[in-house]
This record gives sequence, structure tokens and C-alpha cells, in this order.
Amino acid sequence: MLPTSDVEALVGLGILLTALYLQSESFVGPLVDAIALQSLLVSILLGYLAWVDHDPALALLAGLAVAIRVLLIPYILRRQIRAFRWRFRELGASQRVASHALAAVAVAIVAWFIFQQTLGPGLPPVPGGAFPFVLLLEGLLMLSTRTNTLVQVMGYLEEENAVVYAGALFAGGFPLFLEVVIFLDVLGVVLVAVILSIQRSVVGVPEEEYLEELTG
Amino acid sequence: MILSSSLLWLYLVLLAPASGAVLSQVPYPRLSESIARGTSLLALAAGTALLILPGEGLFGPYFGLDRLSDLFLFLVAAVYASSTWFSRGYLAHVHRPFLTPERYYGLLGAFALAMLFTLSVSDLGLMWIGVEGTTVASALLIVLERRPTSVEAAWRYTIIASAGLTLSLFALLLLYRETGTLDAFTLAAHPPPLTSSLILVVGLALVGYGTKVGLFPMHTWLPDAHSEAPSPVSALFSGVLLPTALYAFLRVYDVVPEPVPADLKDLVLTFGLVTAVVAAFLLQQQRSFKRMLAYSSMENMGVATVGVGLGGLALYGALLLLVAHAFAKSSAFYSAGTVLRRVGTPQMSQVRDLRHRLPATSAAWALSGLAVTGTPPFGTFFGELFILSGAIATGELAVAGVLLLALVVAFLGVNAQLGRMIFLEDPQGPSSPLPESLGETFLPWGNVLVALLLGLVSLPYLSDAIRAAAAIVPGGLP
Repeated sequence: MLPTSDVEALVGLGILLTALYLQSESFVGPLVDAIALQSLLVSILLGYLAWVDHDPALALLAGLAVAIRVLLIPYILRRQIRAFRWRFRELGASQRVASHALAAVAVAIVAWFIFQQTLGPGLPPVPGGAFPFVLLLEGLLMLSTRTNTLVQVMGYLEEENAVVYAGALFAGGFPLFLEVVIFLDVLGVVLVAVILSIQRSVVGVPEEEYLEELTG
Repeated sequence: MILSSSLLWLYLVLLAPASGAVLSQVPYPRLSESIARGTSLLALAAGTALLILPGEGLFGPYFGLDRLSDLFLFLVAAVYASSTWFSRGYLAHVHRPFLTPERYYGLLGAFALAMLFTLSVSDLGLMWIGVEGTTVASALLIVLERRPTSVEAAWRYTIIASAGLTLSLFALLLLYRETGTLDAFTLAAHPPPLTSSLILVVGLALVGYGTKVGLFPMHTWLPDAHSEAPSPVSALFSGVLLPTALYAFLRVYDVVPEPVPADLKDLVLTFGLVTAVVAAFLLQQQRSFKRMLAYSSMENMGVATVGVGLGGLALYGALLLLVAHAFAKSSAFYSAGTVLRRVGTPQMSQVRDLRHRLPATSAAWALSGLAVTGTPPFGTFFGELFILSGAIATGELAVAGVLLLALVVAFLGVNAQLGRMIFLEDPQGPSSPLPESLGETFLPWGNVLVALLLGLVSLPYLSDAIRAAAAIVPGGLP
């Protein structure tokens, strides 16, 4: 069997690669698949740590991640894509793919250095310990640079994955962690299921037509 | 004897909006409204009792009160009650509302509950849940008027606020790793040693909670949400939601041992100053009066953040500013709601001669405009004066200079634009007076008078509570 540190490093690397892929893809369908894969990798890590540490809370978190972020939210997002054909690809994103990818790599390097200089010395030497912090900033980058609402949901999910990942690696015993993650999941479902549905019933037109009104 | 128990009032301040949210779901709109109004008054009574008693100490492992939380609990309860009472007239004029009155009052109660919960817990994790809960409860309220722009505003609000709050959660994970506890009172009493990791924790919390406070550059949700929400909800957003988020940051900031390191202090000051300056200039360019008021709130939060960063007298000024601003800005949004309903447009260029068309409302609006821009003798003026004095006393002359610039620019911008709407004649000829009900004018006048009295006299309990709250925060009043 692989040592725990190897599993953490291997899965962490996979999570990081999905984060970089998310930044460089402009088609929404593959983005949904990528965020589901990233959530699956996080849940695999949680499940593995739950098994090694005999921690039922981590096992529950892994199950929750699979149910909500691997299955339910991606399912709702795919339905949204079918309902709104114009959401199939982010508007104007094809011209920005290269800059998004470059920015993603730059953010990853900067985040890694910040982690090593500030947090790293005080934390246990876990392989890929900087990855949750990198993932957090990659999620923020996605939220701030993308205009498609569905892609922004994926930025939010990536941030949530980063928090769960960090919690599993560093903050064992964090009080109410399970409740906090459930709360984040509820918010994720509210985001995609409720507000997007309202948008569909009230608006029903491409984003750029009404975004003009909220300026200044 | 039982009435002097803080625990009783703590239960009541939480149970009143909770029961209001649940019981107002009865399928009779008038009954639903009466329940919401009654329970909001109960919450106000409990908040006032906590201010008078005052409520202090820990109540079980998760709840705890001190003079700072008492002050904010009263503030939230007061604006929640006035917004609930102001809602009737507003809802009556909403064409095809997205929410039924029952759902509206239910969400309003849940929104207030989330804020009151945030202020009454001592555990920073639960506090985070409370702040995040405000997003869930209030997002749908923004969509009430069913405009495409409202949906977009709700979307931006939810996604940006949640993304910011995820950063705060990350900060709390790291804080727990550093200290082994998330109890704010314990951490304030026994601060952990200062490390680079702790500085990063506070920095992440500043950006995270700062998103909800409306600090630049994470403020982009604020003008959209404030301008698209119905006016009673905008009043809650501006008056108490932003201060509640600032309170959550203040609790994390308390963890830093004295004296606060210069780079951390500079970080807080920079965020506050840049926010105040950017908001002061952006509000000049607005076409909608609600967006202008939203930017004014952002400017005030920037100024209050500067007060937090400076500490001492300036921190007292920040708390006084937050209290007076809550009453003044809620008054301004109620008046804006009445103008919007009666005149039919939020565009400032199309609103003229309000002094003849809506005399009582426009007078309250003019006063609240003066109040939110720190005109003497309103409480906001003294709050800003103490912040400026604090900056000068600590040798931060550049901070004082930039702050003064922001205050002057905001003052000119808000009052010039309000003045044009109120005093300029309508080019299409003399306008006839529009109807104004007592319900529409009473609350704007009542709230702006509280902001005025805060500057004129030492209000029983409230003024004392502000002083006491400033004294308990590390770095606050001696």
C-alpha cells in the first residue's frame, strides 16, 4: 500500500492540475466535468484520510462531497447549459484563454511562495501542503476574471474544495467543520438551483443585454 | 428579578425574529404583517434591555455578550423594527412582486436573525456561519421587484459575498491551527504570540469580511444589491449588515496582541482609506439616487475602518459613526423608497422640485443627506471628527489629509445631488403635491432625529454604551 504522504501528494497534484485546466477552458460542459473531477479527487482524499485516521466526520464529509459537489450540482449545471444554449461557451473567452492560463500559473507560483514564507513554517510538513492555498487563490482568480455565471459557480465550488482540502490536511478537530461545509454546500445549491432558476424565469435573455444597466 | 437576567433578553432577541420568520407564513397577508411587526418590536425591546442592563458574560460554550455586542444587537434590532414597519406601504406599491408578503416577512425575519445570531455568539466559527447566513436569507429579498437587474444584483451579491467569506473561513481554519480555539472572548483575553501566520490570518479575514463590509476592491456587489433591493431591505443592508460584517472582522482583529504591528495597522488603514476615497469619487458619477446612497454607505464604512485601524479615540469615533450612520442611512433609504414610489423613477436627472411635491419626505431626505455626510451637529460629524483627531494625535497626518479629502468630496457630491432633486424647479412647469402618508414620513423623521440627538446630547444608555464598547476593544479608549 502507498504511504499516506504519497497518496496526499498524488491526489493533491491531480487537484492542482484540474485547477489549472479550469482556468484555460472556455467551453462550459468540459468545465462542469473538470469541477466534478476535482470534487471527486477531494472526496477521495477525505475518504482515504477518514480510513487511515478512523475519523467518521471525514468519511461523512467525503460522502457529502460526492453527493453534492460531484453529482447534484454538476447535474443542475448541465441542465442549465441545456436550457440556455448561449451559456454553452463563455462569451469572448476564446480570445482570453491564453491570458487566463498564464495568470493561473503566475497565481499558483505566487501563492506557493506566500505559503512557504508565512504559513508553511508553522504547519506540519505535509506533501502538497501549499496546494489548498493555491487552489483558494485559483478559485478567486476564476471568480474575478470570468463573466459567465455558470463558470462563476465553478469558481465558488473550487474555493469550497480548497477550504475542505485545507480542513482535512491541517485543521483536524476544527469545531463544527462538518456543519460549516454543509452550510457551504447549501449555499452552493441555492446559488445554482434557486438564483439561476429565477434568472431563467425572470430574465431569459443573454447576459450582455441587461448587464449594461448595472454600470457605474 | 427575572427581567434583569441577560440570558432572558438574549433568548428573546433571537427568538423574536425567529418566531416572526416562522409564524408570518400564515396565509393571511395582514395577519402575517402584524406578526412580523409585533415580533420586530419584541426584538427591539430585548435589544434595548441588553443595552440598559447591560448583557455581559458567556452563556454556554457558544454564546457570549459584552458591551460591544450589546451595542450592535440594539442597532440591528432597531433598524430591523423600523424596516419591518416601513415595509407595508412599500409592498403595497410593488407591481407583481416576486415574493408574497408572507415570504417577504419570513425572509426579513430570517435576515435579522442571522445578523443578531452573528452578534450574540462568542465562537468565531458560528459567527462566520451567521455572516454567511445573512447572504442566504437576504439574496431573495433583492429580487422582490422582479427586474432582470434585480436578479443580476442578487447573483453578484451571493457569489461575491460568498467567495469573500470563504477566505474568512480559510483564515479561521488557520487561526484554529495556531491557537486551538475559536472562542473570541478567550482569544481576546489571552492573545496568541504574534507570528507571520497570524498576520496572514488577519489579512485574509480583512479581505474576507471586508467583502461584506464593502471595502474596495471587493465592493462590487454593494451598489447593485443596495440599489436593486426594496428600500426597507436597502436600509438593513446599509444601516446594519455592513457594520455586522465589520464587527465580525473586529473580533478577529482583537486576537492580535498589543501593540498591533505597524504593517497590519497599515493594511487596515489602506483598505479603509482607499475605500473612502474611491467611494467618494464614484458617488459623483451616479445617475440613480439609490446607487448614490449605496456608495455613500461604502464611503462611511471606509471611514469607520480607518477608525478601527487607528484605535483609541478614533475607534470610539468609528463606533459613534456606525451607530449614527445606521439611523441616518435607514432614514435616507426610506425617503428614497417613497420618492421612487411616488415619482416613479430612480434617475436623479428626472426628479425635481420635491420640496413642493413631497414636502415632508424631502425635508427628512435633506436632513438624512446632511447626516450621512457628517454635517454638524449630527452624531456622524462627531464620529468623523474623533477619527480625524485620532489620526492627527497619532501623527498620521497623511491619513488625516486623505480622509478629509474623501469626506469633503462625499459631502459635496451627496448634498449637491439631493439639493438639485429637492430645490430645483421642474423645467416642465410647477408640480402639484403628491400624497404622503404618516407611515411614509414618520420613520424617516424618527430615525434621522436619533442621528441628530446622538450629536446634540448624551443619549441615555446609547451614548454610554458606545463609550463602553470602545473601551473593551483592545486598542480602544483607555
